[in-house]
Amino acid sequence: MRDLSNFLAFLGLVTTLLMVWRQSRPARVRLLAVQSLLLAAQAVAIAAFTARYGLLLVAVALVVVKAWWIPRALARMGQGAPPRPLEPGRSAGTRLLVAGVLVVGAYALMLPVSASSALPTRGGIPLAFAMALVGLYACVTGRDVVGQILGFLMFENGIFALGLLAAYGLPGLVEAGVFLDVLVVVLVAEGLVMQIRHEHATLDVDLLRELRG
Amino acid sequence: MLLIALLAVPLAGATLLLRAGGRAATVVHGLTALATVGLALAVAVTVVRQTTLLALGGFLRADALSAWMVGLIGLVAGLAAVEAPHYAHGAARRFYPFFHLFVFTMLVAVTTDDLGFMWVAVEGTTLASVFLVNFERTRASLEASYKYVLICSVGIAVAFLGTVLIYFADVTRFGDAEHALRWTTLQHLAPGLPPRIVELAFVFLLVGYGTKAGLAPMHTWLPDAHSEAPAPVSAMMSGILLAIGVYAILRFKPIVDAAAGPAVARRLLLWLGLASMAVAAAFLWNPRNYKRMLAYSSVEHLGLVSVGVAFGGPWGVAGAVLHIANHALAKSVLFLLSGRIRTAYASMEIEAVQGLLARLPVSGPLFFAAMLALLGLPPFGLFVSEVMIIGAGFSGGHVAAAVTALVLLVIAFAGLLRALQRMLHGEAAGRGTERRWAAVPMVAALILLLLSGLAWPPGLAGALAAITGVIAP
Repeated sequence: MRDLSNFLAFLGLVTTLLMVWRQSRPARVRLLAVQSLLLAAQAVAIAAFTARYGLLLVAVALVVVKAWWIPRALARMGQGAPPRPLEPGRSAGTRLLVAGVLVVGAYALMLPVSASSALPTRGGIPLAFAMALVGLYACVTGRDVVGQILGFLMFENGIFALGLLAAYGLPGLVEAGVFLDVLVVVLVAEGLVMQIRHEHATLDVDLLRELRG
Repeated sequence: MLLIALLAVPLAGATLLLRAGGRAATVVHGLTALATVGLALAVAVTVVRQTTLLALGGFLRADALSAWMVGLIGLVAGLAAVEAPHYAHGAARRFYPFFHLFVFTMLVAVTTDDLGFMWVAVEGTTLASVFLVNFERTRASLEASYKYVLICSVGIAVAFLGTVLIYFADVTRFGDAEHALRWTTLQHLAPGLPPRIVELAFVFLLVGYGTKAGLAPMHTWLPDAHSEAPAPVSAMMSGILLAIGVYAILRFKPIVDAAAGPAVARRLLLWLGLASMAVAAAFLWNPRNYKRMLAYSSVEHLGLVSVGVAFGGPWGVAGAVLHIANHALAKSVLFLLSGRIRTAYASMEIEAVQGLLARLPVSGPLFFAAMLALLGLPPFGLFVSEVMIIGAGFSGGHVAAAVTALVLLVIAFAGLLRALQRMLHGEAAGRGTERRWAAVPMVAALILLLLSGLAWPPGLAGALAAITGVIAP
């Protein structure tokens, strides 16, 4: 159980770092789907080993919402736009370096948390937190709307993984609220992206600079 | 029962309004708003006079702090509802349902005992109001709503991280997963929670809910969203939505104080509060757009509330709670009037507004009076709550912080006064006529502000003491 959960958490972090590294938008959307599937696998593994079958429902919701519906919505948003940014931004090397620093920071911050946990999944806690931090970084530095939303979803996935590994998930009502939340945020963002593209014919957020002061 | 009715009415109203159009929509909107205000005040009075209200096996719970917020939401939503028909005109189905859904999510956030569900409700407030921010569907409102939904969703996700850590700390130590996030449970168990984890969680909670409260440096969504939203929505966002961010922080504060000692929350709240006041003062020194001016003034006042909570003691906390209410009343009236000014002058620039008193014979004088209240001049309530907060700083030994807060208040005061002067002076482009009765609710709000400044109504002191007991037992 411990090895499996650690391995899945490790793969989750790898997908996160790959998303920071890759420039191509379709590839990053696919990586998000993979990351969500890994999260679902984690939930199934915990359900199987601890007989908490409620987590199977969570896994199904993860597959449907985060691995299927949201990637499709993101693909719709990106349709027609060039798959990678036209101007080179910060190099992948710099971004990966920052992400690496965040991973180290995540380990330091999560020391008291994993130390006070007695669960077999505790080894993955810092990895999940690192996923969240790197996602937050990707969101804040995202150069287009889809990039920012991808970062937000990575962040959300990281927090979700943290809840799963540290406490075998949260109470059902809160969990349901989180799914609803992610769903509506993507829906709202999609509506807005369509309107932005209609107005500006681009996904670039640098054009959203009218309101100042 | 009362609590369930309070939540059911706006939700039912919102559902009905999805289908209603034309006059029927205005009538349903009015009735829903009226019933919501009545029930909210009934809840507030019942809790103050009798006892904590419980429903659904304790899942819904209204103590003194919740009742205070419920009453405020009722008052401000009522004020906004009166002005709403001028804005919903022609697109009622895109306005009224979200208006009442917004009120519903805010009421849920302050009446649930489950801090996880409170998080869901607070996020719900963003999702319900984002369509209202983008109601006018202009380029600027689109930009504002995108920033709003992204920054607030990310912020609130940070608060979720904090909530997960609190849940983890509780479950690991005590094992009761069902009630682990209940505020009443957490308060009992708090002294036994691991301090370092709770401390870390509070940092996340403060950043997350601080984003909703508009505290600097997470305030960047606020001026855009508040200035682009239709006036009744700006009034609710500035008056009560920000206060709900503070409410969420106040719910966690006694837990953190008990687990990790009071110094942690105090230091963080003080720094965030002063930073917000400084950011606001820098902008308010020379504002150009009056809606953005009002929005930045909210950053300033919420910063002061945070400083008041940090100063603590009976005066600091009571002053902060009273200041939330005073600010909510003054600022919602001002935002509603700013909508009328915008309609009359067709501009949001301070330069464009001249001879306000003559051009708008009812709204002009009201704007003047409400600005005096906002400036913190006696005899209005904001003067009293500001004196309480600054006084708490001096008597608690936080002299440097109290002096800094005072200086920042004076800078903002000077800037706001200058802007007000520019709007009042000059030749009016013509004398307008306005219906007097439409101003009655706003006059009532100003009378409440006078009461909180001059003569506290019976029960107010008791209510403030009860709330202080909840936040700083």
